[in-house]
Amino acid sequence: MALSSIFGGGSPSQQQPVASGSATGVSVKEQLKTQIAQELAIANASELVNKVTENCFEKCLQSPYTSAQEGCVDQCLAKYMRSWNVISKAYVGRIQQASTSGEI
Amino acid sequence: MSTITQADLASLDDGSKKEIMTFLESENSKQKVQMSIHQFTNMCFKNCVSSVNDANLSSQEEHCLNNCINRFLDTNIRIVKGLQGLQ
Repeated sequence: MALSSIFGGGSPSQQQPVASGSATGVSVKEQLKTQIAQELAIANASELVNKVTENCFEKCLQSPYTSAQEGCVDQCLAKYMRSWNVISKAYVGRIQQASTSGEI
Repeated sequence: MSTITQADLASLDDGSKKEIMTFLESENSKQKVQMSIHQFTNMCFKNCVSSVNDANLSSQEEHCLNNCINRFLDTNIRIVKGLQGLQ
């Protein structure tokens, strides 16, 4: 629930008005799209949370885990997001390069 | 969440169904790219970022991340070609 609110997921107030106009094709269609987009956003957000937690827990904390290492975790999160951007840019660049040269 | 009923779905006209299929296809391929980026970032972060003393990436780390993703894709292409050669 916390995730969906952070990443703009469905709060009940947003969905109520759409539900009332049930039979009109447009609203059902748009509602379906919105719901799909929200589910995907939540899936992406939780994947990110899991991966960052795993990596930063590994890098910042050590057995017997007596201190929380909050400073390191904060820096690690920032580093991970910057890494995400570097990888994303490079990967999308390669996809575009391949599609313009007709490889895909 | 349970606001769309079976009846609502059945009432969609062909144009809307088509539009939703197109929407699903494009969201699906976007999502595949997203999941690949999750996977690559996870892998390359493990290999390139050795310690956390700073919120910024060092130039070596950034260089390593770029090499990591590019060499991974090169390897992937090489493997696909190799497997095609086996047929």
